Amino acid sequence: MAKTQLEEINRNIYDIKNKDEYDYKIKKGLTREIVEEISNQKNDPDWMREIRLKALETYNKLEMPTWGPDLSELNMDEIATYVRPKSKLNSSWDDVPDDIKNTFDKLGIPEAEKTSLAGVGAQYDSEVVYHSMKDELLKQGVIYTDMETAVKDYPDLVKEHFMKCVPISDHKFVALHAAVWSGGSFVYVPKGVKLEMPLQSYFRLNSPESGQFEHTLIIVDEGASLHFIEGCSAPKYNKVNLHAGCVELYVRDNAYLRYSTIENWSKNMLNLNTKKAICGKNAEVDWVSGSFGSKISMLYPMSILNGEGAKTEFTGISFAGGGQNLDNGFKAIHNAPNTSSVVNAKSISKNGGKCTYRSLIRINENATGSKSSVSCESLMLDDFSISDTVPTNDIRTDEVEFSHEAKIGKISDKTIFYLMSRGLSEEDAKAMIVRGFAYPISKELPVEYAVEMNNLINLELEGAIG
Amino acid sequence: MTNIVLNETPVRTSRNFNINNVKLEDIEIPKNIQAFKNVKVSELSSKIALNTDFNNFELKYGLNDFLTEQVNNNANFKANIVIDSKTNKDVKIDFKFDEANKDLIDAINIVANEDTKSTIIVKYESDCNVQAYHNGIIKAVAKSNSVLNIIVVNFMNEVSNNFLSIENCFENDSKINYYIIDFGGQNSITNYYSNIKGNNANSRLNTLYIGSDEQLIDLNYIGELYGEKSNVNIEVQGALKDKARKNFKGTIDFKKGCKKAVGNENENCILLSDTAKSLALPMLLCSEEDVEGNHSTSSGKVAEKELFYIMSRGFELKDALKLLVRAKFNKILEEIKDEELRNEILEQIDKRIG
Repeated sequence: MAKTQLEEINRNIYDIKNKDEYDYKIKKGLTREIVEEISNQKNDPDWMREIRLKALETYNKLEMPTWGPDLSELNMDEIATYVRPKSKLNSSWDDVPDDIKNTFDKLGIPEAEKTSLAGVGAQYDSEVVYHSMKDELLKQGVIYTDMETAVKDYPDLVKEHFMKCVPISDHKFVALHAAVWSGGSFVYVPKGVKLEMPLQSYFRLNSPESGQFEHTLIIVDEGASLHFIEGCSAPKYNKVNLHAGCVELYVRDNAYLRYSTIENWSKNMLNLNTKKAICGKNAEVDWVSGSFGSKISMLYPMSILNGEGAKTEFTGISFAGGGQNLDNGFKAIHNAPNTSSVVNAKSISKNGGKCTYRSLIRINENATGSKSSVSCESLMLDDFSISDTVPTNDIRTDEVEFSHEAKIGKISDKTIFYLMSRGLSEEDAKAMIVRGFAYPISKELPVEYAVEMNNLINLELEGAIG
Repeated sequence: MTNIVLNETPVRTSRNFNINNVKLEDIEIPKNIQAFKNVKVSELSSKIALNTDFNNFELKYGLNDFLTEQVNNNANFKANIVIDSKTNKDVKIDFKFDEANKDLIDAINIVANEDTKSTIIVKYESDCNVQAYHNGIIKAVAKSNSVLNIIVVNFMNEVSNNFLSIENCFENDSKINYYIIDFGGQNSITNYYSNIKGNNANSRLNTLYIGSDEQLIDLNYIGELYGEKSNVNIEVQGALKDKARKNFKGTIDFKKGCKKAVGNENENCILLSDTAKSLALPMLLCSEEDVEGNHSTSSGKVAEKELFYIMSRGFELKDALKLLVRAKFNKILEEIKDEELRNEILEQIDKRIG
C-alpha cells in the first residue's frame, strides 16, 4: 500500500507567530549575573533570591542525564531564560494587548472561560498576562493567582511549599528551573471546598530561542476537591526552545485533585518538565495527560503516596510524529499502607517518531496492603517509527498486589478489513481505530478538551496514513 | 577484594531507579587459578564431538569485559561440543565445588549442526560450605533446522559467587530451549543474550529462581529479533524469602526487518517475607511495525485462599508454601525430561524454601 508522507503538517492555530516583541528580554546564557538580574527584574524577596542562587550552584554541579533522549543540542548559552511581554498582569481580557489577546482567542481560552471554567490564567512568554476567577470562589477562600503575586501576598504559604515537594537537587533541569523560574499559577483550595468547574492555566511561548520556566503550586486542603487543567503551545522556530516548568501539588488528607494536561508545544521545543504530587491520608490525585508536541519530551509525573489509603491514577497518551522523541511516563511511590496506583498509558508513533514509556512503581517496606496495576499499550503506524517500553517495578514488601502488562503492535489488518467492508475508506478506518485507541484517555477529559484532543489526533494523522 | 560493576542493561533508564547495572563490593576474584578436577562429563554418543578447539569468545553483551577476558585467558575448563545427529544421548557436565576445587572458570562452546536435535545439561553444585567462585561463558550456535535444549542448573551454596554469560546465535528455522535453574550463590549474576538472526527461528528461555538469606539474584536477559517470523519467549518464575533480592531485567528488542516476529516475556515473583525485594525492568524495544510484543510482570505474596485451603487439609505452613512454590514452578519443570534431574530440583526447592 502506498503511503503518503508529509514532513510538515499544518498545525494551524498553534503555529501562529506573533512578532517577537517584548518589554524586556534578558541576554542569552546562564550565569550568576543573569540569575541576579532576573531576581532584580522580578523584585524577589531575599529568601527567593537565595533559592535562585543556591539552585544555580546545584545546576552547575549536576550532570546531564545519562539515559533517555540525546540532549546535546541544548546549549544554555543560546537560550534567553526571561522574556517579559509587553503586557502587565490584567484581570480583564480587554486590557490585554491585541496581538496577545488574539492568540489566546484563537486557542479558545476566553470562550472556554465563559462556558466551562471557574478561573483562567494565561501566561505569554515569561509572565502571566491574565488571571481571573469567579467571585463566588473568592468568597469561599479559594486563592488562584499568578506565582509572583503569591510570593508577595502569601509569602509564608509559598515559602513552606516552594521547591519542597520537588527538591532542587532532584535533577539538573529542576535546579535550572529553580534558578530562573518565572510565571505560573498558585492555587489554594481551603478545607472542604469542592470546586464544581475546573481552573485552567494556559502557557504560550512566543519568543524564539527562549525558555519558559513557569512554576505551578497547588495546595488542596483537607477534604477539598479541584480539577486543574494545564495547556501549553508555541509556534515553531528553527532553533530550539526550552520548557523546564515545575509543578508541585499538595493533596491533603481526604482531598481530591485531578490534574489534566494537553501539551502541544512546537516541534522545536525541548520539554524537560517536572511534576510531583504528595498525597495525604485517603487523598487522591489523578493525572490525565495528552502529549502531542515537542521535539524532545522528558516528562514523568510522580505521585508520592504518603498517607494511608492514598490513591493515584495516571491516564496518558503520547503521539510522536516525524522528528519527535517523546520519552514520557509516570512514577508512583507507595509510602504508606493500603495505598493504590493505577496506570493506563498509551502511545502512538508514526512518520519516524519515537515514543518511550518510562516509569517507576516503588512499593516501600511500610506500604503493606498496597495495590498497583500498570498497563501500557503502544501502536506503531508505520515501519520506520520506534516505540519502547522501559518500566521499572520495585517491590519491597510481600503484602502487595502488583501487576504490570504491556503490548506493542500495529493496527490489525483484520480490523481494517472489517471496517472497510462496512464502507469506510482505509484512511477513515485507521483514523477511527486510532481514536478508539485514544478513547480511554479522551473520555477522561472535559468534553471541549476531548474534542481538542481528537482534532489534534486528526491533525497528526493527516498525511501519515493512507 | 574487588568492587565490580556488571550486567549493564542494553538501554539505560534513570540512575535513581538502581537497575541499570549491579555493583558488587568486596568480591574475591581468584588470581592463581588451579585446575578444576571435580568435573564429570557423561559418556558421549558417536555423533557428538568434544574438544577444546575453539576461538576466544567475543560477546556482544556479557557480564563485563573483565569477566569475559578472564574466561578467554584463564579458563580451567574448556569444552567444544559439536552435535551431528538427531538422536543423541543427553550430554551432561557436572561440576562439583569442594575445598580442592573452589574456583571454576569455564568456557563451553556448543555447535548444533543442521538438522540435529540434542540436549546439554550443565550443573554447578557445591554441597559443602566452601566459598566457591564460578565465572563461565556458554555460547551456542543453532544451525538451520536444529533443535537444542540447554539446561543450566545452579545448586551452589549461599556463600559462593556465580557469574554466567550466555550467548546464542540462531540460523533459519532453528530453535533453542534454554532452562536456567538459578537457586544458589550469595551473588548469582546471569547475562543471557539471544541473537535471533534466522528467519522463523525460535528462542525460548525458562527460568526458575529461589533466593534466600541475603542472596542477590541479578538476571539480565536480552532477546534481539532480526529474522522474519522469529520468536522469543522469556518465562521467569521465582520465589524470594528472608532478605533476598532479585533484579530482573528482560529486554525484547524488535529490530527493523523482523516482520511478523513475536516476543513474549512474563516474570512472576512470589515474595515469602516482608523483607525480600523484587526489582524488575521488563523492556520492549520496537523498531518494526509488523510485530507483536507482550510483557507482564507480577509480584506479591502467595494467595491467602490457596494457602488456607492447603493448610485446612492438614499441612503445616512451611509444607504448604513448598507445595505452592512447586505448583508455580511446575509448568517449567514438566518440560525437563530427565527425571533424575527433575527430582533433584524438587528436592532443592524443598530444601531452600523449608
